[in-house]
Amino acid sequence: MTTKLKYTIIAVFLGGFMSMLTVRSANAGISVQCPGDIDGDAKWDTMGEVQPSPNIKCLHLGAGDGFVTMADGLSQYIFGFSDLTGIPTNPVNPADPVTVMEEGMLAATFPAPLIVLDEGDEFYLTLTNVGMAIRPDLFDPHTVHYHGFPQAAPIFDGVPDASISINMGSSLTYYYKVNDPGTYMYHCHVEAAEHMQMGMLGNLYVRPVQNGTPYVYKSKTYDKFVYNDGDGSTGYDQEYPIQIGSFDSEFHNASASVQPLPFALMLDDYPMLNGRGYPDTINPDPLSAPAENGGKVSQPESSLITGAAGERILLRISSLDVTRFFTLASMGVSMTVVGMDAKLLRGPDGKNMYYKTNSVTLGGGESVDAIIDIPADAAPGTRYFLYTTNLNYLANGTEAYGGMMTEIVVSI
Amino acid sequence: MRIIKTVIQVTVLGAVFMILLTVSAGAGINGISGTTFNLTATTGHVSTPDGGSYLIWGYANGAGLAQYPGPTLVVNQGALVTVKLTNSLTVAGTGVAPNVSIVFPGHQAKVLPGNSGVPGVLTREAIPGGTVSYQFKATNPGTYTYYSGTDSALQLEMGLFGAIIVRPSSGSNFAYNHQDTRFEQEYLFLLSEMDPRVHQRVEQFGPESMAATDYLANFFPVLWFINGRAAPDTMSDAGVPWLPNQPYNSMPRMHPGEKLLMRIVGGGRDLHPFHHHGSHSRVIARDGRLLQSAPGRGPDLSHEVFTVQSQPGSTIDTIFEWTGKGLGWDIYGTPAEGPEFVHTCTTNDGDDFDDTTFEYCPDHYQPIPVQLPITQELTFGGFYSGSPFLGLLGSLPPGEGGLNPNGGYTYMWHSHTEKEMTNYDIFPGGMMTMLVIEAPGVPIP
Repeated sequence: MTTKLKYTIIAVFLGGFMSMLTVRSANAGISVQCPGDIDGDAKWDTMGEVQPSPNIKCLHLGAGDGFVTMADGLSQYIFGFSDLTGIPTNPVNPADPVTVMEEGMLAATFPAPLIVLDEGDEFYLTLTNVGMAIRPDLFDPHTVHYHGFPQAAPIFDGVPDASISINMGSSLTYYYKVNDPGTYMYHCHVEAAEHMQMGMLGNLYVRPVQNGTPYVYKSKTYDKFVYNDGDGSTGYDQEYPIQIGSFDSEFHNASASVQPLPFALMLDDYPMLNGRGYPDTINPDPLSAPAENGGKVSQPESSLITGAAGERILLRISSLDVTRFFTLASMGVSMTVVGMDAKLLRGPDGKNMYYKTNSVTLGGGESVDAIIDIPADAAPGTRYFLYTTNLNYLANGTEAYGGMMTEIVVSI
Repeated sequence: MRIIKTVIQVTVLGAVFMILLTVSAGAGINGISGTTFNLTATTGHVSTPDGGSYLIWGYANGAGLAQYPGPTLVVNQGALVTVKLTNSLTVAGTGVAPNVSIVFPGHQAKVLPGNSGVPGVLTREAIPGGTVSYQFKATNPGTYTYYSGTDSALQLEMGLFGAIIVRPSSGSNFAYNHQDTRFEQEYLFLLSEMDPRVHQRVEQFGPESMAATDYLANFFPVLWFINGRAAPDTMSDAGVPWLPNQPYNSMPRMHPGEKLLMRIVGGGRDLHPFHHHGSHSRVIARDGRLLQSAPGRGPDLSHEVFTVQSQPGSTIDTIFEWTGKGLGWDIYGTPAEGPEFVHTCTTNDGDDFDDTTFEYCPDHYQPIPVQLPITQELTFGGFYSGSPFLGLLGSLPPGEGGLNPNGGYTYMWHSHTEKEMTNYDIFPGGMMTMLVIEAPGVPIP
């Protein structure tokens, strides 16, 4: 027996043993439940770990607090989620420190880490409550609510009133079998008016099984689609999640300074797309890390939309705004709405109800799938705009020429 | 032979139809029915769960108490409906009580000769102490609103609005005259909001004092209601004595596989994204008109949503369904959980669902693929039964749970403008209630 084989056998045995252990001890403190994962990092990357099937997906999120920077430079205290995938929670070497709490502390991002799934996935999401470092007086539990997932069961729906939420220093693994493609969103549902205003909001979408099957639509071949349309009519070249949200700076300041929270007077003054106001929205890179959280990147998602002439650009627009409706308009190019609330826009007998528009209006908890056709003769460098026509929200606090806007740039 | 077959089919269909008609429906909607209604505009007070009490002007049923919202008028398609309005409003101080009226959007209402009140801007009005009678034919089934057409900015805010339901000739288990609008349960969700400054000022100084404020122009609500109640009062029984001016509740319940018709009315001035947890619903009608491409087609222009965009003065009928299909685990548990979890899943009718319990058979006896944390690591909700399985009660620490005695599956139905889930700075509350999906066999009155 070669050393290598021996090692493999030990690893497999150990793997089986450890995964048994994982299940047995799944309910003790911080632990990730992910089939085939041995060291509890929600990945299959060491010690012969094997992903049991391509449709098994795992993710480890932390729920805690952090800081972000508004486009006018204002620092804002937030609650939020962080991606802790890749950090072993179940180290094989007992001497290895458990670093989840350290890594998760003040690591919240806004928006929350992007979740992209495929139809047919079995999704294991472990949520670890890492506590709020800036607010040690709070011992809030947290949840993940998959907003819009059909046929939800309360135990994994994340509504604290209806089921369970996870306390500080512990983990809860959510299981959901993803049967329906579309644009969803996710957020914490604990003390929703507070935790959502504070930033526990994220993009989530599911790609259809039709992906990979080529369809010709308007004499172009597509292999990526918004839904299982059967005719390629939702085919696209590029996709961008765009999430509407806004902050009330007084609310965030009150939270940071342990003051009573102004629910009744809540009035947002920092309108954003994907957690940034213009012109930060068109910065293609993560925003530089704020000093307040110890230098952790907290605004990774750009909203810069790029596409070549003649391309179809899918905008997965969702709103998790806590205070009001917003209208988003496209200047220079029109949108074709092909889906709403994670459903293909067709009647029960298949009647097509797609429509062309220059604006969509969304309240919190609504989503729209809109396809932009970049004109075939658009010159490279041409800029179109996606912006709110609630024009008083084109501002970052008191600073004008900002707010809820981004650009669609024709690439070379 | 073909004729006989057709006859048999028709007979069977007829029998099915009869069975459907005998299923009791409408229990979920409180209101008054008939063809003649005597409404009285009068004053009352609403209570909010934060301890507030605010003057309202509301429509009362005859000599009854003012209601926030006004009585839900349930009429049958084709009926000639008469609404006699008496103005019994009184105001504080030396001011004069206002005229009051009713408009009926979606209906061709006329004023009855002989009791036609006085002219107003939108319609004829009843002067203080006076009356006016309106009449309309309930031509089209569906969900409608009614409200005061007099000084509406103030009078709607004060509470002079309500809902009308026109039942189709197909029967009370249908929203419209088409098989695809059939339902087992139905509930009204009349959404409204309140700016207490208006009510306090009217109570102290009378309505004329509003002219000295910008409250109506700069309307700033801090209270939100479903059927006139803010959560958690939405979930108390209808007609409880401690809410005399708010007789309606909002406590939707259903069984797996049933269709629940949501009649959503934008009763106030704001848009509300009404998010129903659990699953999608199918929007079949707007403003009392079926979303159909041609008469008789049924709702072929309907679409599914997970959040209903409710607009002011507008109504939406949407059918919610929940089956638990494709969860990947058995919502009734597996024998490994204990002997009480032994159950069968039998389908003879070709769908994948058990013929009586509506369990999704492909998931039968599939365990939940993850382990739940232990008690000390969790915070429990009042509606949690202690068990992840439907219809079962699990153990909970002392003082936890208790709001879900049948072990149903509960889902929050609420405005997703989360700010509206508060009662004047206090969370949770406002425009929120819970749906309970009860286990098969649990009676829903």
